[in-house]
Amino acid sequence: MVEQQLAEWLEDGYVASFRTACLILGNRADAEEAVQDAYLRAWRFRDSLTAVPSIRPWLYRVVVNSCYSKLRREIPHRDRRAGDEPLAQVPGRGADPEASAEQAEVAGTVLTALQRLPLSLRVPVVLRYYADLSERDIALAIGRRQGTVKSRLHEARRRLAADPTLCALAGAGDAPSTEETGP
Amino acid sequence: MTVLDDDRLASLFARAGAAFEVPASGADDILARAAGTGRSAGDDGGGAVAGEGGGIGNEGAPLEPMPIRDGRVRRLVDTVGRHRVISAAACIIVALVVAGTVGALVRSPSGPTLTSSLPRTGLVAPVSGATTTVPQGSAVAGGTSRAAAPLPSNGTQHAASTPAVTIPTTPTSPSLPSGAVGQPSKIEQTGSLGLSVGRGDLGRTMTRLTSLAGAFGGFVASSQTQSGAGTGGAPYGSITLQVPVNDFSTVLKQAQALGKTSDLTTKATDVTGQYVDLQSRITALEDSRQQYLTILAKATTVGDVLAVQEQLDGIQSQIEQLQGQLNLLNSQTSYSTLTVTVSEGTPPPRPGPVPESGVVRAWHDSVGGFVDGVEGVIRLAGPVLFALLCLGVLVVGGRALWRRYQRHNL
Repeated sequence: MVEQQLAEWLEDGYVASFRTACLILGNRADAEEAVQDAYLRAWRFRDSLTAVPSIRPWLYRVVVNSCYSKLRREIPHRDRRAGDEPLAQVPGRGADPEASAEQAEVAGTVLTALQRLPLSLRVPVVLRYYADLSERDIALAIGRRQGTVKSRLHEARRRLAADPTLCALAGAGDAPSTEETGP
Repeated sequence: MTVLDDDRLASLFARAGAAFEVPASGADDILARAAGTGRSAGDDGGGAVAGEGGGIGNEGAPLEPMPIRDGRVRRLVDTVGRHRVISAAACIIVALVVAGTVGALVRSPSGPTLTSSLPRTGLVAPVSGATTTVPQGSAVAGGTSRAAAPLPSNGTQHAASTPAVTIPTTPTSPSLPSGAVGQPSKIEQTGSLGLSVGRGDLGRTMTRLTSLAGAFGGFVASSQTQSGAGTGGAPYGSITLQVPVNDFSTVLKQAQALGKTSDLTTKATDVTGQYVDLQSRITALEDSRQQYLTILAKATTVGDVLAVQEQLDGIQSQIEQLQGQLNLLNSQTSYSTLTVTVSEGTPPPRPGPVPESGVVRAWHDSVGGFVDGVEGVIRLAGPVLFALLCLGVLVVGGRALWRRYQRHNL
């Protein structure tokens, strides 16, 4: 029963988990590995799910910790691999070239702004504004107190607001033309 | 400037996230892989992570399908693989601990370094003298010696650096062969023992040594105690015990038990020849005296009587002198002399050894240097091991703190 539920949760949350990892790591290949790693771990420790109050923060915690491990352990010690291009340079998708270009520009700008943030701020802000977790769930996901999350989100917002490119993009994109939305 | 509120941020993040193509395999591939290996992994990993997710995500997990192995072995291998530096340090520390333990075991039970000097003297005795010397600093497990062994033909033997003497023989005379003249062997037994005792134990040890001599029918020939207050050195005392020769080894063993043996010298001298010689001379003089007495009985003139009497006085004097020497030998072979030097801490310096020839001295210096080198290495192993342990604790602690700091900033 637990395995079935977990499998469903993992399948449903894969897209959000993968893109969350992309935004945190700034690298698609690393994000794919991190999510794969996180899912394997989640499956391995599925028996502990009975003690988990909420599955969603728990799953994001696994993903975030996996990203953090990858950032800390692997990425600083290796050269960039072929095809490991930064996400900011990934061309947009879709049949419409103009929309694809705009999407790539947005992605590049957001990632550049996120990469300027330290991890302690980047992770909460991604979980808040992309994964749409509440402050309480973010606190569970990163293992910090809710007040800490609140202050970090405030600081992250302040720094992002100081980014003129991001602000300009936000002003221009009041009417977003996304073909996909967040989770 | 546009206000970057929550809605705009969420919109930007959503658009940015949507730009990234999700892998085609998706979760299905991962779940299939996990289902193929997760059963075995879950069997041992279940419950290892509670709601806090303590172990999840803290360590990297292999992305390839994991072979089905014993959970503990797999975790150990994974841990070693992840912490190569710590594992190497742990291996070095374990190796040092093992080496230190082996070194200590090899060193502690080793017997004293024996130097047996067996000069061949005397007339017909098979054993003329035997000396066992335990150098300073060597711990003696028991009164052990080879001093009572028969004299080798070359007369002198050096058995340096003899390890682990376990033969519980003693320098006493029970196993000595009888003399060639049909006379039981007369062995003069002496010994010198250096004891190191704890602070404040000098008086108690001297008292116990005195009691020890009395318990075996012996007595204290002399005793001296120095507090060391005037000289500034450690207090020490010296006591000379006279104990029955048959109890010498027992007394020596019990005396060694009173402290840490720092020096032990035993010497057995066969005086059978001297004893027999004295007896023969006394017998001959008594015969002469008897003849002079016969002559005296037949003397008729005062001059003859005085002359014979003068000879008798001389013979009697010689007999008494030789009888005194015989009594002394009897006493010396009935009672052994054991001189015990007791010190608090290091024992007082002993007289220097008899000067040796250049080659022998060089050889002894060489052996001593080798032993000093080995001792130095073993002595250094302790501090080095301690330093490595401290370093290991610092590394592990620092690593834990660093990871905690990193997680705190996550």
